[in-house]
Amino acid sequence: MGGTNRDGTSRGRDRLQERVPEVELIREAQAGSRSAFDALVRQYEHQVLRLALHLTGSEHDAEDIYQEAFLKAYRYIGNFRFECSFYTWIYRIVTNLCLDQLRRRKTRREDRSVVMDHSGEEIDLLASVSDERSYSNPAKELDRKQLGEKIQAALSKLTPRERMVFELKHYQGLRLRTIGELLNTTEETAKNTLFRATKKLRAQLAELR
Amino acid sequence: MNCEVAHERIVTSAYGELPDEQAHELERHMTGCPDCSTEREQMLALKVLMDADPVIDPGPNLIARSRLRLEEALDALPPQRWYERLEQRLRNNFAGMRAAPVAACLLLAVGVGAGGFGGYRLALKQTVQSPGGAAAIPVNAKASLQTADTPQLSNVTTISSIVRQPNSNIVEVRFSQLVPERVQGSLDDPAIRQLLMLASENGASPGLRDDSVGLLAAECRAAHGCQGVGIRNALMVALRYDRDASVRRKALEGLRPYVAQDIRVRNAVLEALLYDSDPQIRTASINMLEPVEADTSVRQVLYAVANSDNNPQIRNVSRQVLSRVPEIQ
Repeated sequence: MGGTNRDGTSRGRDRLQERVPEVELIREAQAGSRSAFDALVRQYEHQVLRLALHLTGSEHDAEDIYQEAFLKAYRYIGNFRFECSFYTWIYRIVTNLCLDQLRRRKTRREDRSVVMDHSGEEIDLLASVSDERSYSNPAKELDRKQLGEKIQAALSKLTPRERMVFELKHYQGLRLRTIGELLNTTEETAKNTLFRATKKLRAQLAELR
Repeated sequence: MNCEVAHERIVTSAYGELPDEQAHELERHMTGCPDCSTEREQMLALKVLMDADPVIDPGPNLIARSRLRLEEALDALPPQRWYERLEQRLRNNFAGMRAAPVAACLLLAVGVGAGGFGGYRLALKQTVQSPGGAAAIPVNAKASLQTADTPQLSNVTTISSIVRQPNSNIVEVRFSQLVPERVQGSLDDPAIRQLLMLASENGASPGLRDDSVGLLAAECRAAHGCQGVGIRNALMVALRYDRDASVRRKALEGLRPYVAQDIRVRNAVLEALLYDSDPQIRTASINMLEPVEADTSVRQVLYAVANSDNNPQIRNVSRQVLSRVPEIQ
């Protein structure tokens, strides 16, 4: 927290200036302004899609979550009371939708190293992670793909809540306090859930270490 | 510390969330416990392993498609009617009273009752009831209606229809009305507090917000029922977002008793120190930062401000606080 030089402090002032417009945007959106709501969507859509895409592994499912989340936000923005940040509020909607998705898919096996694009074509995520060395190594690519599959299998053994906490902490980098707020629980509970999740993952992936 | 606790803290530490003094304890424990040292290595290895499942940023096509689909869905929504907007506004206002449901219900009952009674009296005094139930006003009585009932007419929010009855001078006007209310009570009354909190966010003028925040802040400084988060939240919102410096100053003062015990309040004060446009508020924020054990954020912010702030007075005050460094661990 805090800047370390004059530029940091002036960036901090810019952040204050940015925060004021967001409050105004929210108020305008609450008053019915569509353009204000669209501006809010643009501020948060990237993070929403990033989370949904990584959790679901499907562009189509990520689009659905995006759609549901922002339609809900549009419908209920009048209930937003500024008791938390708008970021927390919108993220809470998204995490609940993702949790619902995880619960629905709990019994389905997903090959998450492969992502479906909007036309249903498969895209192998691990094939797109380039090896920076100048020569290709098919054996290494295969190993990486198999590793990805094992990771997905291990993640699928977590409960939806454990998966969600792990996703938000490990992959999205949120603080445990924020995760607790998003999931309507305490920081301590989020911490315990993370501990259980890592314990299960280590047990599942023990053979790889 | 036993190994069970150490294992939990190893996970928290691996993600950078372990407070400094617990990290120190953990290090001491692991120095004498090879099993826990191995546990930590395995935890770090898991973190590296899990990164083999990369997070992919959404591509521009996906973003564009999602946006387009959302816009189509929003365009397809029917526009809200005036009574739906009014209902939404009332719902927003009463949503803030969820902490005092009984008082909120009483207030609602009083408001509805008073509004209904007032409308009934107006209808008896001024109108001839038509079979359709709308207000039917003789055309030549319009002026007398306005002069006799200006307070009520000033509360009219919407005229929804005007229909002149054929072959007569009778005009039917359908309208909606807001009835202003007044309530009086002690500052300890939850209903009064809820109204003050509403006024702190939605007050029509800076003076109104100033008064409401001033009253709430005084209650908190006197430790009158600020243990719940409602009033503290209202003060933090005012400190962060109100445009009037006087309102923000009062909110800051009201939060003073909670800087040490409530990390959210502390963060709000740190943000005020970094970003507020009023130097007095920033100076007051520095003076409010009491030594807080294990909170390195306070020290980091003070260092940053002491080294690089544009305001020399702010730099000086920060340095003075930092000179008491042994008190800030």
